[in-house]
Amino acid sequence: MSDEKKPAEAPKPAPPPGPPPPKNPGFVTFTVDGREVVARPGVNMIDAARTVGADIPYYCYHPRLTIAANCRMCMVESSAAPPGKLVPACQTAPTEGVVIKTNTEKVRAQQKMVMEFLLLNHPVDCSICDQAGECKLQDYYMRYDFQPSRLEGPKVLRNKRKVLGDTVVLDQERCVLCTRCVRFMAEVAKAPQLGVFGRGSHEVVDVAPEYGKLESNYSGNIVDICPVGALLSRDFRFRARAWFLSAAPSVCTGCSRGCNTVADFMGQDVYRYRPRENEAINKSWMCDRGRLSYKSLNTHRVPQAVLGRGADAKEAHPAEAIKYAAMKLKPLLGSVAFLASPVASNEDLLAGFAFARDVLKTSTVYVGGRPDGDSDFFLMQADKNPNRKGLEWIARAFGLAVQPFDALTKAMDAGQVKALFALGHEVPQADDDWAARTEKLELFVLSATNESKATRPAHVVLPAATHVEDEGTFTQADGITQRFRRAFPPRGEARPHWKWVADLAKELGHDLGVASSREVFKKLSPSVPELASFEWDKKAPMNQTRPGISTMAAASDGRPPGWREQGVPNLRGLTIP
Amino acid sequence: MSTFALDQIQAQLPQALSERYQDRTGAEWGVVKREHLVATMKLLKEKLGFRLFISMDAVDRLHLPPAEQDPRFEVLYFVKNIERNEHMRLKVRVNEGEDIDTIKGVYQGADWAERFVWDFYGVRFTGGSNRRILMYEEFKGHPLRKDYPLRGRQGLIPERAIKDIYRGPGTNGVQD
Amino acid sequence: MSDTYDPTPANEELEAHLQTRNMVLNLGPSHPATHGTVRLRLELDGETIVKMDPEIGYLHRGFQKSCENVTWMQALPYTDRLDYVASLTNNFGFLSAIEHLMGLEIPERAKYIRVVGAELHRIASHLTTAAALGLELGGFTAFLYGVEARELIIDRVTELTGARLTTNYGRIGGLNRDLPPGWAEKVLKSLVKIEELAGEVDGLLSRNRIFTDRTKGTGVITKDDALDFGFTGPCLRACGVNYDVRKATPYWVYDRLDWEVPVGVNGDNFDRYYMRILEIQQSIKIIRQALEQMPEGPVILDDWRIVLPPKDEVYGSIEGVIAHFKLVMEGVPVPAGEVYHSTESANGELGWYLRSDGSGRPYKVHVRAPGFQILSGMQRLCEGRMLADLVPTFDTINMIGGEVEQ
Repeated sequence: MSDEKKPAEAPKPAPPPGPPPPKNPGFVTFTVDGREVVARPGVNMIDAARTVGADIPYYCYHPRLTIAANCRMCMVESSAAPPGKLVPACQTAPTEGVVIKTNTEKVRAQQKMVMEFLLLNHPVDCSICDQAGECKLQDYYMRYDFQPSRLEGPKVLRNKRKVLGDTVVLDQERCVLCTRCVRFMAEVAKAPQLGVFGRGSHEVVDVAPEYGKLESNYSGNIVDICPVGALLSRDFRFRARAWFLSAAPSVCTGCSRGCNTVADFMGQDVYRYRPRENEAINKSWMCDRGRLSYKSLNTHRVPQAVLGRGADAKEAHPAEAIKYAAMKLKPLLGSVAFLASPVASNEDLLAGFAFARDVLKTSTVYVGGRPDGDSDFFLMQADKNPNRKGLEWIARAFGLAVQPFDALTKAMDAGQVKALFALGHEVPQADDDWAARTEKLELFVLSATNESKATRPAHVVLPAATHVEDEGTFTQADGITQRFRRAFPPRGEARPHWKWVADLAKELGHDLGVASSREVFKKLSPSVPELASFEWDKKAPMNQTRPGISTMAAASDGRPPGWREQGVPNLRGLTIP
Repeated sequence: MSTFALDQIQAQLPQALSERYQDRTGAEWGVVKREHLVATMKLLKEKLGFRLFISMDAVDRLHLPPAEQDPRFEVLYFVKNIERNEHMRLKVRVNEGEDIDTIKGVYQGADWAERFVWDFYGVRFTGGSNRRILMYEEFKGHPLRKDYPLRGRQGLIPERAIKDIYRGPGTNGVQD
Repeated sequence: MSDTYDPTPANEELEAHLQTRNMVLNLGPSHPATHGTVRLRLELDGETIVKMDPEIGYLHRGFQKSCENVTWMQALPYTDRLDYVASLTNNFGFLSAIEHLMGLEIPERAKYIRVVGAELHRIASHLTTAAALGLELGGFTAFLYGVEARELIIDRVTELTGARLTTNYGRIGGLNRDLPPGWAEKVLKSLVKIEELAGEVDGLLSRNRIFTDRTKGTGVITKDDALDFGFTGPCLRACGVNYDVRKATPYWVYDRLDWEVPVGVNGDNFDRYYMRILEIQQSIKIIRQALEQMPEGPVILDDWRIVLPPKDEVYGSIEGVIAHFKLVMEGVPVPAGEVYHSTESANGELGWYLRSDGSGRPYKVHVRAPGFQILSGMQRLCEGRMLADLVPTFDTINMIGGEVEQ
């Protein structure tokens, strides 16, 4: 109001100091616990601090979900914060020159307080909780709280068995309301069926009433991202304790997407699949259909070689089976049709096609495999075979014509196929028609992982190993070749397809000269242009991730983990010095 | 903690020590180069009064963080000066296939300790016994290496031939 | 040689010249005079031992490998089996080394109880050695007195720990349970009896002509050799070296107690035996003082990162169950690092080199068993001496298979 009256010569107030010029243009430079961090603008403090080894604890933060900042566990001291206040590290992007401290008295007091509140109404459940051993509450309690309870009086009771859907059950008492599941369903699964209901102590996560039931092909992921034991897989619940399981990096065989998984196993049983991070394929997720596809690795397996069909069928030793199959195949060489399954790995198919071309002398391979199914907007593909691409590549490189399954059935109906060698039992129509057709064959040799209608009419059934029982590669729909690791030795008398084929070839006078899946790949893949440059050894994921606590010797044991509980499993194939 | 001995070694055998450090409890450790080990031990025993041989062992560093994995083995030497009440902690770092000179000529008690290290870690000692001590001669491998399986049981070995039926087992003057 | 065994020597063998080459004799591995299962391959010239080659390992249990594959606390029962005659000294020595590595200071009362326990077992071990020496030289009476006194100690130890030999007593940060009510008085009463019985052993043996003839001047080792071989404990002190870890680097509360280290002169079997008789008296003195000075208070630290929470907390609160679960399943997180720490066990310096990689399991557990170094000097004690002296020598060095062969 009196501005005009001010003398003109009054000193102009200095302009407020602008933000300091960035030390590293294009990046923000700031300090975490006394160490300088250079990061891309917009990165949050948790990720930035991790680069210098500062571990900021969090529950609600997930790098692939939006930020909620509701667990308050990641609060740190920042020089840019209002005096006396802490900032949530997950939500705050550090600015130029800011000083962050993650381990001060105040931060520790905050972490202790948060832990105490989270555990206040938490049930005394560790001994019956599936999450025990891989639970963030347990880890953070020992690291940040380690105090006795100060609770006087009863804990708030909520629903302990709230069945959310076919795959997930919720224990509302264990929930820490981080809302990771709510955000996942809305943002990733595109099915915003979960919500937080109630207020205060009675706040719970539940399915929104208009849905009634959690229905999504991706609901299994909320079990993985739940930092505590609130969301549980109905399939895995109460089946194994996390610390007795070992994990092998693997690839899902449920469809041609090839989601990266971790196969958790004990002894010679797989107990669950968990998604393994892969930015190009599945991010951190996998679908429920794939998640349950581990079951075929455990049940309805072909345990032993079977010779003869119907009433004459008898179980046989592998060496005997090889001799028998070779004896039967020998007079028919040149007229045996070859049926390959795109569920088999590249190594199996490399050896199989070499066998088809050089021993069986065919120029055509028929492709079986699982029938097409439905697909969805995200990961699941209609093609349910994990390795169709690889099969096509190898067949092309080997000069073999690829014929669809229909062509085979037509040829069989026309009586053109007298004998059939099938690598893999999967066929698009594993029904009575197929059984009737194969029954008419003079010779049907089948190398199969699982029993089905298709295995019954075979003259020779050779038990084959699944992908978790051997090292190898799959090529998924987009042409990405991926390595998977062996978890345990094959069950029963099973051997990988390539091994059966190589033994048969040797018996028939053609030595492939391979003793391991690695040798198969090294020897046969150079002729396949798409696979020739694949670094089989280097691309192998580290076989060391374990869920939760490992009671095993630090991988020095050389035995299939889990023997402690299961007794020593069948050790065939393992060498102990 | 006294640093007398390490200071003396540094002064009298300046090339022998490749590293010295304090552990978390403040105790002094010296890392001796393998070729200077015998000289260092002689110095310790004869000039510095470390006459009591305490013990020897080794560590297989295979499963330590990658920065600490090379060389693979750490052979530990502990000797004591009773008068000064000073405990000497020395280490020699070797890779597989690198032999260490024996110190059994300096400390007689080191013979068995070296046999122990050979038996369980497979570190050889030039001029040493290099005989197994707790395991049997037919045993294959070195069980305390980290890559030896925890339950790496080995098969039974045939009974050794009895050479003299009258006098029972033994060589009876005949060399094995 | 014919296929059938004919016990009658052939004529030519009867008329053969007397063999003059050295005889090879196996003593053990199962022989009443070899305390552990140890095989001594002796080459004899007449009755003189020309060469001796102890072959050990019959009791090897893979102590280190086992320890590397369990949590720190799960390794404690394995230490019972080292020197099984004095397992408390092993338990406490191992725990002391871990606590040293972690930088923990245990409560006062726990320190006193550890002193009492260790000294009780030291007496037990010494009584066994001294009395069995009498037995092996033909005097059964002394053995009965010694074992009666040892039985009293074992009874007290059983009341304290719940086990006669495999005590598994003590936890990282203190002890798993306090003294039972009235235990201290019982110990004091027992000590009177033990003192009397130890005196009987002393009186029966120490001035006994047959005994002294067999032990004095036999199994002699010089001071220099003893140091060189790494002798510690009574065997080293018998040579005249005043070295006791309890005095050299006092741990627990040994520096607050009034006691002496007996030191010998000759380094022969008698001195080694007599050191033990004298040490029994010192240990009794230590126990009496410790029980008198022992303060009231907690026996274990109160930190749920290291010590298991009380059972009612485990069953009744989530905090307790988490702490219990993590400590049992993952083990006490000992920070990464290494340490050499030693205590005085009944046979000498019991040293531990511990290495942790920061996980709940040891990366390396080296135990410096006193008996191992002493047994390695056995050759020096016996070669050139008489075969008959081997038996008392083997007794006075007190070889315990459990600790020597790990």
